[in-house]
Amino acid sequence: MSTQVRSYKANKVLERLTKKVNRQIAGTMLACVHCGQCTDSCHYVQTNPGDHTFVPAWKADRVRKLFKRHMDWTGRVIPWWVKAGSVYTDEELEELKDIVFGKCTNCRRCTLNCPMGVDFATMNRMARGLLVSVGIMPEGVAVVSKDQWEIGNQMGVLKEDYLDTLEWMEEELRSDLDDPTVEIPVDKEDCEVVYTINPREAKYDPRTISDAAKIFHVAGENWTMPSEGWDMTNFGLFSGDDDLGGAVARRVYEAVVRLRGKKLVISECGHGYRSTRCEGPNWGGVDLPFEAESSVLTMLRYIKEGRIKVDPSKNDFSVTFHDSCNNARSCGLFEEPRELLNLVTSDFREMYPNRAENYCCTGGGGAMSMSEYAPMRLKSAKVKADQLAATGAEYVVTSCHNCVDGLNDLIKHYKLPMKVTQLVNLVADALVIEPAKASVVVEKKPEAAPAVDETPTVAAALPLEGRKILVIDDEPDIRTFLSTVLEDNGASVLTAGNGDEGMEKARAERPDLITLDLNMPGRDGGQIYSAIRADEDLKDIPVVIITGKPELRKLIYDKDVRRPEGYLDKPVKEDTLLTNVRKVLEVGADDVN
Amino acid sequence: MSEALHFAEHTLQEATLVIMAIVYTSRLVWLFRRFKAGKERQGPTGAPNTTPRKGFLYSWAIIGMPWVMESSRTKPIMYGTFVIFHLGVVLAIAESFIIPYGASMLAANPWLATLIQVSTGAACAVGVFRIIRRVSDSNMRAISSPDDYFSLVLLTVWFAFASLSAPNQGVPEWVLLTYFWMTAFFLLYVPFSKISHYLYYPITRYYLGKSLGNRGVYPIVPSAPGYGESTAK
Repeated sequence: MSTQVRSYKANKVLERLTKKVNRQIAGTMLACVHCGQCTDSCHYVQTNPGDHTFVPAWKADRVRKLFKRHMDWTGRVIPWWVKAGSVYTDEELEELKDIVFGKCTNCRRCTLNCPMGVDFATMNRMARGLLVSVGIMPEGVAVVSKDQWEIGNQMGVLKEDYLDTLEWMEEELRSDLDDPTVEIPVDKEDCEVVYTINPREAKYDPRTISDAAKIFHVAGENWTMPSEGWDMTNFGLFSGDDDLGGAVARRVYEAVVRLRGKKLVISECGHGYRSTRCEGPNWGGVDLPFEAESSVLTMLRYIKEGRIKVDPSKNDFSVTFHDSCNNARSCGLFEEPRELLNLVTSDFREMYPNRAENYCCTGGGGAMSMSEYAPMRLKSAKVKADQLAATGAEYVVTSCHNCVDGLNDLIKHYKLPMKVTQLVNLVADALVIEPAKASVVVEKKPEAAPAVDETPTVAAALPLEGRKILVIDDEPDIRTFLSTVLEDNGASVLTAGNGDEGMEKARAERPDLITLDLNMPGRDGGQIYSAIRADEDLKDIPVVIITGKPELRKLIYDKDVRRPEGYLDKPVKEDTLLTNVRKVLEVGADDVN
Repeated sequence: MSEALHFAEHTLQEATLVIMAIVYTSRLVWLFRRFKAGKERQGPTGAPNTTPRKGFLYSWAIIGMPWVMESSRTKPIMYGTFVIFHLGVVLAIAESFIIPYGASMLAANPWLATLIQVSTGAACAVGVFRIIRRVSDSNMRAISSPDDYFSLVLLTVWFAFASLSAPNQGVPEWVLLTYFWMTAFFLLYVPFSKISHYLYYPITRYYLGKSLGNRGVYPIVPSAPGYGESTAK
């Protein structure tokens, strides 16, 4: 074996391993006794019985063997005795990639179930980092990391698009609250709160931004959002790249310092919270000169301090709560979201297990961006699906955007009668806004819910007048639904039942926007999407993907072509569709009539 | 007492103990000098009453709190075998000191010999159970190395001889000789095998506990029951 030639990359991985292992990781390498207690704690094991390659200790040993062979005593002398080993080829590194990226979401459930305190998740992250350092990683991880390095956020949202979205949401909010003084302040200095978000919010879920803005406004908060350093997510956590982690975290911290903000508030995102609040200072080598907290704590404090008033009967459906792994198992955020849920909903049901023992949404650890592992991810999600179904709840609430996507995917895959939402949406919906006063005290025993006009203002005002929209979907019911909603709002709608027909109509009619289903017979939506982007005449037409197929989420993450302007999960709600279509077409409230 | 037994009980044990101490010391020096500890910079998160100090104390104690970890709570038999096995280790080691240096204790307190015999005998039975589990369970086989099998067999056989040797008086000399030679081998082998995990337990658990205490994860709040029922206040 010693005469075997080692590839350049393998050499680099081993060289960096010896520098990367700190005392905590060395302990993790040395302490495992192969007792097997971690085995059943892993959702991959539970859904793949008989396949030992999912067992946490086995996966850990793929990394541990390198440490034993190159750094430990016994493994250097008699490697076979302790199953020590090395890597020689790039193919072996690719195999290791499939284990550390594809078979583990770094959820840390096995860590908390290890009697020895072996922190497999941290070791796994380190292994990811070693592979990333030699360019071996899933394509989605590479694309997202590049965007975070170069553009400053993980979804490649350009600064002007981000600012446009904020401006647009501000207009929406003014219209919604019928209050021209409402603001989404940008780069305002000396504020109490600097609010940072997940780019997914700006790109695909702007309602969470307007909901947060509504809460800040009603609470009378002196707040702002930075024009730079606004992305609190951090792919360094997933890729194991501490340099990226440090750079991204510092960008956010520098924004708060530049604006002289007193407190950094991090919107609901598990890995963003962990990265920005906990790991960022370690990666970036900085001590935070300001406070930082999750928006969950901010919202709860507003209610407790009487700055906002909420009526739980406005959310009169049953809800359960999913603890994000990063929030719960790595940051101890257990009770606050539950306290908040009990204040803004009327029927909260625990799922079991919960808190630090909860199962991963199965989309964690960057799994949502690694489409090649989607089938394995969805299979492993059976544990989570059973857990959700047992609650009988209509909504699952989570404080993590990654979990929102992961849960949406598994809910569709396992056909659960359930929807996903976040606390910010529930708090905004439960707000009691008195006309002359923005801040009031909390109602402990809510009275009957006031009548709420749920008719979207925009719908009555025909906001899409004069816009031509092409709907491509093979399901007649969906086509009818989408056409009806869009036509009712003034759009002129064309429909196509498959991709080729859609391409023909697009070329002939040059619509202002295309809504595209991905899962269609013949050329699927992914191929059609690529064809649209490759067509000189069509490439600039904005596309909103509307899909029920989680595997095709890769269009967001790992296509070389431009990302879609919108991405909606089926079943899509009328107001969500309208909000997104209007955002893409840049039809603001002021444009209506 | 024959010269061979005297050598095995005294000179051999003392020499191997000294060697083990030297190896362990150099092992710890290697671990602490070669590997720098990562620094935790962030402020505390989670419940305000958790601290790094409370975290690592809790982490050290977690092995004695089977209700805390799901992997222990849901497998009481496995936890029971863990307790018996490790109690057997403690008493078998104690026996290797009691026989050479405090044989009169055994003579004066027959219950002590009985306690050691029963405990190490039970540990031996657990060892057999663990060997069967490691061989028959495909997941266990997949994660096992030759060292895992050898260490387990070594301990199981050692328990058997510790149990047979416990009365000391009237025990055939070959049994005692085997027990003490095995103990000596055990002392030499341990630092190079997985059996040395007890050396690392305080270290891994210290760092994990300190971090999770700082972040409000420790102490763990076990899952609240009542799923499917409304818990709204």
